[in-house]
Amino acid sequence: MRKLIFGRVVSSLFSLIALVVAVFFLSRLTGDPAALFLPREATQEMLDNFRRLHGLNDPLIVQFGRYLWDLVHLDFGESLRQARPAIDVVLEGFTWTFQLAVITITLVTVTAIVIGSIAAFRPGGVFDRFTSVVSLIGASAPDFWVAIVAIVVFAVKLAWLPTSGTGSFAHWILPVAVLFIRPFGLILQVVRGSMIQCFGSLYVKTARAKGVGNASIIFVHTLRNAMLPVITVIGDQAAAMLNGAVIVETIFGFPGIGKLMIDSILQRDFNVVLAAIMVTALAIFVMNTLIDLAYAILDPRVRT
Amino acid sequence: MTMTQTLEISNRADARPKGAIRTVLGMLWRDKFALAAAIFLLIIIACAVFGPMLFGDAALSQNLRSRNLPPFSIKNGWLYTMGADSLGRPLLPRVVVAARNTILIAAGAVLCSSVVGALLGLVAGYSSPRVSNVVMRLADVIMSFPSLLLAVIVLYMLSPSVGNLIIVLAITRIPVYLRTTRAEVLEIRQRMFVEAAQVMGASSRRIVFRHILPMVIPTLVTIATLDFAFVMLAESSLSFLGIGIQPPEITWGLMVSQGKQYLATAWWLAFWPGLAIILTTMSLNLLSNWMRIVLDPAQRWRLEIGGKSNG
Amino acid sequence: MKYGLISLGAALLSVVLPAASPALAQSAAGDVTIVLGEGVDLMEPCMSTRSNIGRILLQNINETLTELDITGDKGLMPRLAESWDQQNDKTWRFHLRKNIKFSDGSDFNAEAVKYSIDRAMSPKLACETPRYFGSSKITATVVDPSTVDVTAEPGQAILPLLMSIVTIVPANTPMEFTRNPVGTGPYKMAAWNVGQNIVLQRRDDYWGDKPDVAKATYVFRSDPAVAAAMVETGEADIAPSISATDATNSKLDHAYPNSEVFYARIDQGKPPLQDKRVREALNLAIDRNAFVGTLVPAETTLATAMVPPSTLGFNKDVKPWPFDPDKAKQLIAAAKADGVPVDSKITLVGRTNLFPNVLEVMEAIQGMLKDVGLNVDLQMYEVAEFERIYTKPYSPDRTAQLVTAQHDNARGDPVFSMFFKYHTNGPQSGFSDPKVDKMIEDATAATGDDRAKKWSDLIAYLNDEIVPDILLFNQVSFARISERVTFKPTIATNGQLQLSQIGFK
Repeated sequence: MRKLIFGRVVSSLFSLIALVVAVFFLSRLTGDPAALFLPREATQEMLDNFRRLHGLNDPLIVQFGRYLWDLVHLDFGESLRQARPAIDVVLEGFTWTFQLAVITITLVTVTAIVIGSIAAFRPGGVFDRFTSVVSLIGASAPDFWVAIVAIVVFAVKLAWLPTSGTGSFAHWILPVAVLFIRPFGLILQVVRGSMIQCFGSLYVKTARAKGVGNASIIFVHTLRNAMLPVITVIGDQAAAMLNGAVIVETIFGFPGIGKLMIDSILQRDFNVVLAAIMVTALAIFVMNTLIDLAYAILDPRVRT
Repeated sequence: MTMTQTLEISNRADARPKGAIRTVLGMLWRDKFALAAAIFLLIIIACAVFGPMLFGDAALSQNLRSRNLPPFSIKNGWLYTMGADSLGRPLLPRVVVAARNTILIAAGAVLCSSVVGALLGLVAGYSSPRVSNVVMRLADVIMSFPSLLLAVIVLYMLSPSVGNLIIVLAITRIPVYLRTTRAEVLEIRQRMFVEAAQVMGASSRRIVFRHILPMVIPTLVTIATLDFAFVMLAESSLSFLGIGIQPPEITWGLMVSQGKQYLATAWWLAFWPGLAIILTTMSLNLLSNWMRIVLDPAQRWRLEIGGKSNG
Repeated sequence: MKYGLISLGAALLSVVLPAASPALAQSAAGDVTIVLGEGVDLMEPCMSTRSNIGRILLQNINETLTELDITGDKGLMPRLAESWDQQNDKTWRFHLRKNIKFSDGSDFNAEAVKYSIDRAMSPKLACETPRYFGSSKITATVVDPSTVDVTAEPGQAILPLLMSIVTIVPANTPMEFTRNPVGTGPYKMAAWNVGQNIVLQRRDDYWGDKPDVAKATYVFRSDPAVAAAMVETGEADIAPSISATDATNSKLDHAYPNSEVFYARIDQGKPPLQDKRVREALNLAIDRNAFVGTLVPAETTLATAMVPPSTLGFNKDVKPWPFDPDKAKQLIAAAKADGVPVDSKITLVGRTNLFPNVLEVMEAIQGMLKDVGLNVDLQMYEVAEFERIYTKPYSPDRTAQLVTAQHDNARGDPVFSMFFKYHTNGPQSGFSDPKVDKMIEDATAATGDDRAKKWSDLIAYLNDEIVPDILLFNQVSFARISERVTFKPTIATNGQLQLSQIGFK
């Protein structure tokens, strides 16, 4: 176990370095932050001054070397736009995104597994059809549609909830609900498919023949074996959420990392882009490691 | 019933061997949802193939006087039954014409990502730990690379075109297929029949492609059908940035984004293309669920005799 | 399993609870909530020329020596400076108000003014201020604690107007962007929760009239529909920028000109746009009036110059181009007969998200140009790519381009636009003409009525003889204002929102 984790840490480090190198060089090819920060009518002198202040005139290799050296001292550089440490900017955003992601994924996991298992019990039955159609609509509906309709219905017309923003518990309800819908639809279908396959297998038939009750069949006998693809897809959805739920953040005014990433990419704020990618990459690597460990726990036969 | 009568009946049944197609159609008929899905998909494919030819001009004719015409009235002709957009172009032809670009891009991206992802996943699941490790770390890197940045870089280095759009969309979706395939492979390869095949001297390639892959495909198909919707919507935000589809070309996703600002006043602009996306996804999914049952010998009985319970 | 669920629930609560704080309180009398479209990266006073920062800072926290009365005809008004006079053609002397304190208690005096000017022009920061002064070196000299001389080398004819963009900060402000702005204005910054809100609190020791608003909270919502909804539900009082399609409530919604001119620059470096007849045809092919009330709001006016009508030197005699597609076709045919390659591809370049309807407007323009027989392709770009195309150096292997953009000039004088858009050395200019260059240079150096006349002549000359662009619209924005406050948005609102102008009913 220890050897596995150590090995994973080392190889993840390689990935991280590859990621940093790729993003560093590729992103700097794509545009001039000076021209984006300063107004169009800036004089050449102002542009040169800006570039000089932020070390953008040096050859790329030199800039990269400087960046690596700072990284070793845990200095992620300064945000070009906000004139403060990039890591502060990123961590503020990431805190919000992380909270949103954790809450939503937990809710999705619990509800999708329970409902999907029950639906798989009678494929083609009323419950199955109903949940499938409803969840598929949710999984394919454009999220800003859903968000804006939700705001209009619940905040404006019914006035049950605030329209947007952060603050109280009530402020979280709509964003989480909107963020919940797509992963729920997807994971429900995966659980259902996986469980149907398991229900058809020999050992389940044996259990039934022995007279084991339905609930026990679902939860004790089948669930564990069906879980491998399910937790993989859950991991994929969680990774997407950690990269930032842009629409939800934009519409509901949550200052998360999704919107930050987009703005930073469009404005070529390189240090923030790199810091943000590193933070989310770290979270994703950790999560993938946990998922691999989970494989081993769920199915002892599996050797990763 | 006498014995002879029973025999006669069964003889009669044998005397008319059912063709494969009739069997399949019969099973489709039993599952009404899948039948509706199949019909809908055929309509969509027809739109994609014939749409631009039949409705191409109608979809482009700007007419500022019919701007934001509401739907459900025959007054201006049957083309306007779904209403008109902010330039007065009728929505029905536009939705039909947009089917081609949408399906091409979505199918292209989903196919590429699922095939590449599955292949890499098979490698990661079945090969030596070292190779497997490299592939998995590659997947991690792709998962952490923001798709927008990838799109901007591709746009900068190559030109804006549909092909590049498909590449960007495909790359970002590879990890889920890769990891799911690998997870299933890890589990399946421990099973008895795989061991048996190995003992009998089957090559790795044969085991992987003939024995393991067919068991993984159902899950991949489920994911792929839902990915369709995701790709259709992701494509619109990239086209918005100037990568890929340029106006006056349209896709459903682009129509939905353009209609966003009119949600309160002219809701039909975003509604019909959004509905098209939802119905297409649902149909693909229902059909794939049906196919899963048809192709699994252990489950086929549900459709052959129409049983509902788990038996 | 049960134990797992309980601990999961506990973990959930512990994640959510720290984020919870007192629920939305109803606004107290004297408080306003303003919802803005973009968040601010900086609260640095010298960056107030950037509209999203100026909207919060300008004349609320930090003030300037002079202030332009953009909506009325008072011209340049005194703010921190009581009066000013010209010493010679390079130097102006400003007489400062006395007994003013910054919000940190320090005194407002000539030292602070000199420091503010030096800091804003300093290469150690990257303030936007230098660009307004062109290539002039600005130096300030302290004559006595309430008198300061400002010298421009070379001389700037409109120096007092230029001082309306220099915000004054205390002399102890660090020589780097600050996150805690201190000024002489009626408000001080009480809190900045990054990404969530900024709170301004009224000062008791302000030198001028006490404004009605005691506390202002600025929140940020990128989606204008949500901003509009917030005013409707009472969560906010003012949303200065909602979309035209949401502005359906006649009691709450107000249209106002936002000083942006929407136009398409004609690339005179590539055929067939080098021929004046083709450029005229482009202008005649567009039915501008058809857009008004359909694709752009009904309150939009047609643009006849690069600057809005409230600017000095605006030429009322220049009329918008008529819609005459037949004449356009004739001109194109005539050019073709002379060998001009009128069938060459022309690219109509647009910027995504420039304003809500931009894509449809672009498609409509493309349609109209194609109707007169031109070969026009549409290409939209995101901001960074667009800026590379919009500003020199232009790519030598580009196709002939019509680059659409918005230009904002609410500063009161065309000098801020004309050089950049029309001079040979202007970074966004699409042509080169020595007579135009001379006219620009002469007007820049002139003063008073002579200056106004020279700008007027230039505007007419460009329209009649050069046809460097397709001028389209003076854009409008919509504001939603709740019924508990009174506020009138004006052409200045894009760049500043003075809380002192807000009242309560």
